[in-house]
Amino acid sequence: MVWAANRWENFGLPFLVAILLLVFSLLSSPFRSSYSLVSNLSFSSLVGIGSIGMVFCIMSGDFDISIGSMSALAGVLGASMVTRIGSPAAMLLTIALASLFGFVNGVFVTKLRIPAFITTLGMQFVYRALAYIYTTNTPVYIEDKLWLSIGSGSVLGIPFPILLMALCFAAALYVLRKTPFGRYVIAVGTNKNAAMLSGINVDFVKMAVFTLVGFFVGIATVVTASYLGSVNPGQTGQGYEFRVITIVVLGGTALTGGNGNLLGAFFAALFITYMETGLGMLQVNSYWQYVATGFVLIFAVGINRVKSAVLGQRDT
Amino acid sequence: MIRFLKLYEKFGIFIFIFAGAVFLAFASPNFLKLDTILNIIAQGSYAAVVGYGMTMAVTSGGFDLSVESVMALTSVFLSILIPVIGIPLAIIVSLMVATSAGVVNGLIISKLKVNPLITTLGMSTIVKGIALLVAGGKMIVILQKQFMSIGTGKLLGIPNPIYVMVIFFAIFYLVVYRSSFGRHVAAVGSNESAVKISGVNVDAVKIGVYALVALTAGLASVVRTSQALIGMPSMAAGFVLVVLTVTILGGTSLTGGRANLWGTLLAALFVSMIYYGLNLLNLQIFYQMLAVGTVLMLALFIEGLRLRYLKAAKAKGIKV
Repeated sequence: MVWAANRWENFGLPFLVAILLLVFSLLSSPFRSSYSLVSNLSFSSLVGIGSIGMVFCIMSGDFDISIGSMSALAGVLGASMVTRIGSPAAMLLTIALASLFGFVNGVFVTKLRIPAFITTLGMQFVYRALAYIYTTNTPVYIEDKLWLSIGSGSVLGIPFPILLMALCFAAALYVLRKTPFGRYVIAVGTNKNAAMLSGINVDFVKMAVFTLVGFFVGIATVVTASYLGSVNPGQTGQGYEFRVITIVVLGGTALTGGNGNLLGAFFAALFITYMETGLGMLQVNSYWQYVATGFVLIFAVGINRVKSAVLGQRDT
Repeated sequence: MIRFLKLYEKFGIFIFIFAGAVFLAFASPNFLKLDTILNIIAQGSYAAVVGYGMTMAVTSGGFDLSVESVMALTSVFLSILIPVIGIPLAIIVSLMVATSAGVVNGLIISKLKVNPLITTLGMSTIVKGIALLVAGGKMIVILQKQFMSIGTGKLLGIPNPIYVMVIFFAIFYLVVYRSSFGRHVAAVGSNESAVKISGVNVDAVKIGVYALVALTAGLASVVRTSQALIGMPSMAAGFVLVVLTVTILGGTSLTGGRANLWGTLLAALFVSMIYYGLNLLNLQIFYQMLAVGTVLMLALFIEGLRLRYLKAAKAKGIKV
């Protein structure tokens, strides 16, 4: 049992992804083409990059459920500026704005001392409403070549989104494992009071974590906008928080904090993306996908609980 | 400061309502007419009814994000069942469907020990998916016109939704403050392990709470569906924010253990007043989202202050 739980922690998800790929490849011939496999890998960057910040956030013991709206607001603001400040600056602006919104969330969470999910629930609606009001509910189209090439471009044959995702995960892994900040996040998530007593500035760490959430959501927004060629105040980021949280939890990050798994989140992003497109290619009614992802989320929490119970760790 | 906050907890919402009423009375010549006021109250009844359930959930230390999906599911079932089995039976069956979604929530939260956020977030998606599947993704028109009288009819000049709101307030008042179940809910919210040790079936209490939340969502959906005469698989998007705002603004503490049902009722009316005011200004619906979001943040700010001062007072040994 312990052996299985240990193996699950390291190899469970890659194994699941492999099975999923095998099953869908057998069932659907368009799915197994190398083009579809690679393009889906790039698609997984949309949720994959976004989930990096959330891993830190859940590790520090909080949630951010405003990321979908945050993405829409930063996206419409950034995309509408392309003609005025040029696309490189507009993309940076999108990322900077998303980080700023994340920071604002962090300030509210730390200074109000209210559970983060409810603070960010309120902000979810504030950001979404502002996106609607700013655009008067019309999509902002991106005609700039450079921005559009982010999603479709490639370096040495590797699509750019995949490279970007790899870069983001590598940087996050470095921060988590090799810097004091990573250890502070773990300390805050494991035992806030102990962290505070040992001289860690808990509020600062939390604010930084929420800013990180915004930062990665900003990058994901730039890529998403590039794929779609537009940012829609109503549709962009709808249900994003749900998918990202599902991915992080499925990736093995414990809801109680202190125990994060970045590589797990990466494989979970692959799993969710391939599952969604696979179901789509089998022409399963798209509403089943809601049901499927909902089950995956609850199943993932259940699996984590069983694993922790076996290994004698604390969880949920 | 503590005295102020204690006063706020009891009367704060009255100040909001009073200020809102004064403002609206000056802003609109129509506000002080009986019809307008009844209309505002009737519009607030949905948030109030679901708010009763949410108040219980928050009191028990949890909460429920799946209410809007449950409303959609109820609406779809109503529209499909009414032509087949008639109105009264269709309402009963739809409410049972709604309640069973709540029971599932409760089972996952209590038996599998998954936290309420994840459970109800996941269930929200599942239930919404089921509603869309059952309805085939379409709105379903209800042809039986008599069904409309539930939501739009009047009795003694007062719109029916107000009766629903008042009757269920009375029922929930008895449940929350006068029944052993209500006391158990509050006890679970303040100290779950102590309650468990003293022999209360905590799991049953939790399942009951989430079943009740879903039931209130179902009730609100019956009234709404009857007004529109359409089964809507995408009903009430964003409604969960309104319900949570109403609950927290009403003074029910997020830390659990203390319900404030009166506050919930009045806060629902206050939010309805905001909507009316925004309509007067001819602002688009997005401003409603912004307004409710802002009010929620304000309510959280006050709640945060309250918790902080309570903690400080406890540290100093002042009795609160």
